[in-house]
Amino acid sequence: MLRVTITVLFALVATKVTAEDLRIGLSDPAVSIESNFVGTQVAVFGSIENPEPLAIERDAYDIVVVMQGPPTQVRVRRKERRFGIWVNGAGQVFDNVPSFYTIASTGPLREVATEESLESLSLGFDKLDVSPLIDADTPRSEEELASFRASLNRLQVADDLFVEEIGGVEFLSDTLFRARLRVPANVPIGHHRARAFLFRDGEFLITRSVLLEVAKSGFEQQTYNLAQRNGLLYGIMAVFIAMATGWLASVVFRKD
Amino acid sequence: MNVYLPIAEMSVSVFVLFSMGAGVGFLSGMFGVGGGFLMTPLLIFYNIPPAVAVATEANQIVASSFSGALAHFRRGTVDIKLGIMLLIGGVIGAGLGVLIFAKLREIGQLDLIISLLYVVFLGTVGTLMVIESLNAIRKSRRKGEQEPAVLPRQRSWISNLPLKMRFERSKLYLSVIPVIALGMLVGILASIMGVGGGFIMVPAMIYLLRVPTNVVIGTSLFQIMFVTAFTTVAQSAANQTVDIVLALILMVGGVIGAQFGAQMGQKMRGEQLRALLGLIVLGVCARLGWDLVATPDELYSLGEAAH
Repeated sequence: MLRVTITVLFALVATKVTAEDLRIGLSDPAVSIESNFVGTQVAVFGSIENPEPLAIERDAYDIVVVMQGPPTQVRVRRKERRFGIWVNGAGQVFDNVPSFYTIASTGPLREVATEESLESLSLGFDKLDVSPLIDADTPRSEEELASFRASLNRLQVADDLFVEEIGGVEFLSDTLFRARLRVPANVPIGHHRARAFLFRDGEFLITRSVLLEVAKSGFEQQTYNLAQRNGLLYGIMAVFIAMATGWLASVVFRKD
Repeated sequence: MNVYLPIAEMSVSVFVLFSMGAGVGFLSGMFGVGGGFLMTPLLIFYNIPPAVAVATEANQIVASSFSGALAHFRRGTVDIKLGIMLLIGGVIGAGLGVLIFAKLREIGQLDLIISLLYVVFLGTVGTLMVIESLNAIRKSRRKGEQEPAVLPRQRSWISNLPLKMRFERSKLYLSVIPVIALGMLVGILASIMGVGGGFIMVPAMIYLLRVPTNVVIGTSLFQIMFVTAFTTVAQSAANQTVDIVLALILMVGGVIGAQFGAQMGQKMRGEQLRALLGLIVLGVCARLGWDLVATPDELYSLGEAAH
């Protein structure tokens, strides 16, 4: 009798210990930018391991998928009217801005997760861990900083560099899910990281991530690299191409 | 059909760019101007970053001025000595311009300065062209035929400057100071505005330096070609803003358009052509000027943080 009780207890503990886990993968480990690149779509696939049958029945699981580009510093400028014309003001620099940020979820973020977990996981444009660089010469009020910060988000959204896709994550079965993420034509090159977050009843359980490499390929890559690494040689080549074109035109259309 | 521009880092329509190149090429062939002062604003209106538009346009002008200069070489209408003196000033000016360009970009005022320079120069040149051509039209109506303009013999203060040099081809004996200064001015404008500068060079050579009109165009093209070539290399080395794919599309469109424009130009009368060009110039000026004073929809913009 005692032995049976112990076994049962053990079994209960064991199910508690092997909690839910996530596995994720990408439809494509790399995005290569070629001359006809107009943007693309990347799918993040994943499955919930060791799910609780009851939670599945209650539809308690939610997934948020984030893809984030390399962090950069961005200067937000505000135009000011001076002598009747609009001139850029000094602006405000923000550090640690994701050069690209797309967030997809099974439902509206506020319903998927609690405010605290969104905050602690930096999920959503407003929750990003972006910090203003304070310049001692131009002190700014909280309000000003907030309006610069709001403009940063607005402009990144307008440039397709911040994307939110509510309902962008679909369950294909009880445990299998897929997030379709749009990659715009102006996606920054570099290492992007895709992360999936698992929530149960709004409570954060676990996150897993994979890398996505965005790179220019072939001619685009070589052209860009040459321009960056050896601008002088690139410039000389550009001049020769122009002279060849000009000479060709003068031969083809020669009148005398 | 879209193409990805490796330096501008954007996807654009080949057809639109080719049409822009051909359209501006047509006008430049018709009016005998370089077209940079129309092309650069058009590229900016098409959302190409101004820094890339300016540097790439310099590269395109190398192609159009080289094909023009070759034709003048064959006809022997280039004063090489004068061209080289202008070129010395031009290279110094273009070098200065590229440095100013990099500095303006750093402090975030490049777009504003480019627009302001365009408004000032296009406004002035456009107004002068319209007035001059309207006068010519009125005069030719009154007299039935056009009289060649008579230039006053006196070369005013310029003839009193030191460091004189003989320019055999132009039959001139004048100081190199105004020549190099003119070259420099045009060089600075070329590198900041993405223009050849013919619209300043040609009138200045005729009215200030008294260069005979038959060598003015060839000599100016000779100088523009080298200065824009230098600008292309300098911009590329200092700012990495020359987009070779963009330049190539514009060049091909430009040289084709220029051929049809040149044929059309021969059928029209000089003063009518100049009046029309003056109006186009004023139109571009008005559009750029309006963008400066009108309250923008979006007051904020994003830029590089680097200082």
